[in-house]
Amino acid sequence: MPSTAGSRLLENYRPPFDATAVRKLRESGAIVVGRPIWMSLVTANPWDLSRVPGGSSGGSAAAVSARQCMVALGSDTGGSVRQPASFCGVVGLKPTYGRVSRYGLVAYASSLDVIGCFGSSVADAGILLNSISGHDKFDATSSKREVPDYQSQFVAIDYLESKPLKGLRVGVIRETLENGVDSEVISSVRDAVSHLEELGCTVTEVSLPSFSLGLPAYYILALSESSSNLSRYDGVRYGKQVPGDELNSLYGDSRAQGFGSEVKMRILMGTYALSAGYYDAYYKRAQQVRTIIRSSFKEALDKNDILISPAAPSVAYKIGEKKNDPLAMYAGDIMTVNVNLAGLPALVLPCGFVEGGSGSLPVGFQMIGAAFDEANSKLFLGCFIAFSKCYVESQMHYFQIVFYVDLIAHAFIQLLDAPSIHAACFLI
Amino acid sequence: MGSRAALLLRATPPLFSFRRSAYPKGHVHSKRFYAQKSSLDPPDVSRLAETARISLTPQEVDEFEPKIRQVVDWFAQLQAVDLDSVEPAIRAGTEGDDNLRDDVPEAFDNRDAIVAAVPTYEDHYIKVPKVLNKE
Repeated sequence: MPSTAGSRLLENYRPPFDATAVRKLRESGAIVVGRPIWMSLVTANPWDLSRVPGGSSGGSAAAVSARQCMVALGSDTGGSVRQPASFCGVVGLKPTYGRVSRYGLVAYASSLDVIGCFGSSVADAGILLNSISGHDKFDATSSKREVPDYQSQFVAIDYLESKPLKGLRVGVIRETLENGVDSEVISSVRDAVSHLEELGCTVTEVSLPSFSLGLPAYYILALSESSSNLSRYDGVRYGKQVPGDELNSLYGDSRAQGFGSEVKMRILMGTYALSAGYYDAYYKRAQQVRTIIRSSFKEALDKNDILISPAAPSVAYKIGEKKNDPLAMYAGDIMTVNVNLAGLPALVLPCGFVEGGSGSLPVGFQMIGAAFDEANSKLFLGCFIAFSKCYVESQMHYFQIVFYVDLIAHAFIQLLDAPSIHAACFLI
Repeated sequence: MGSRAALLLRATPPLFSFRRSAYPKGHVHSKRFYAQKSSLDPPDVSRLAETARISLTPQEVDEFEPKIRQVVDWFAQLQAVDLDSVEPAIRAGTEGDDNLRDDVPEAFDNRDAIVAAVPTYEDHYIKVPKVLNKE
């Protein structure tokens, strides 16, 4: 199957092997229907075609949202599964770092990348997670921990008593419901939190003072690591090659024509941050901030089973709106990056709608758990919420066709600016 | 021309953007024009592009430079954080490090596909143009 990651550089590339996650899915009987890609001006949000589906696994989120497939995989480095899940009104699950093998994933930032799941219900996302999790000898960062049977955690709504979540300690992260977040997003999330209280949870407010440091630290680490990971795309062994008189021009021109503008800028910024003399000032400091963020989350998760925040500070924005302002675009990741820095699992569920543009736009909230705690509290909790508060089904008749397929890619390919994404779509 | 050369010799940052000067574009791309290196020189986009092996057009250099500078200035806020005695975390560290498999070679079973992907393959070589040595 052609695998381009939405990039000219990998035009016509056919991988010689399956990623471990894909291989496991095929072995358990999944039917692969395609590889959605996300292209900035082509892929649209099924809820409003003038708006983005989110990135970078927006193609997968849009496909599930438009019911083109039942579940989909995406990659989440800084929120790229959770943010599109929120924008498209579907369930998005980011597992703990190391839960799912990264072997075969088009690498972006290796200390942050994970393969995540999209589904229209938490149960489906859980089934998908079950199939792809587990140790892999080809990924030295994959965990040897046993994979619990996530499906056995699901309980049908009829069998639950009136306060099924009694005893569950929920911490709402104060810094995520303050200035800079849309007021309608805040009220949707607060409604979801009240609902949790009705179901028996004990809700407290938690403060993570280092929260806002995560965003610059994340971007330093991600851009640095990706500048290194993207250096393999040199036009020599695979992909599109632009011939040159000498080797450096071959590299330079192949990469210049193969990468979009945003990718080029990210590589340059990463190259800068890793340059001799700057490593201590940027990359090392960012790693130190990562330690601080990890410990602050761990401390909060010792006292709470789950932490809650919005999945994004806004609903889906208009296509092209953030194109010229990189910082405005990065600011949209504030809710999600800390989770990647700490390597924790997180689940995003739709929790409401906001009126905007041509109709309603979904809002998602995020539940963060302790490392490898996907089974313990989160899925059970999420399952219940999804059933009882799921507005998604009622809006289905508004869907229109989603343009995302590789068929159109060749016509619009000069508009790329996705970093690197790897997604697949399955019917189980 | 002479006054610009004098500026190059002084150990102060230039008062104008070097890229827009009358010097030919490729001229001092590998040299720093400050005598002493300040720890946080602003990004030199042309030089970074050369290091990263991406051929940028002059328009792209002009377009990227303010955006990159804006982001890098934003990164600098981490300088103000007190990070003494904080250990850097290489990764999330959710598992231990003894995860290496045995060092036993295995032949890959789809060599043909790898070879088929090479744009310029001439049995048994991957053909590339000559490598020019820089000055």
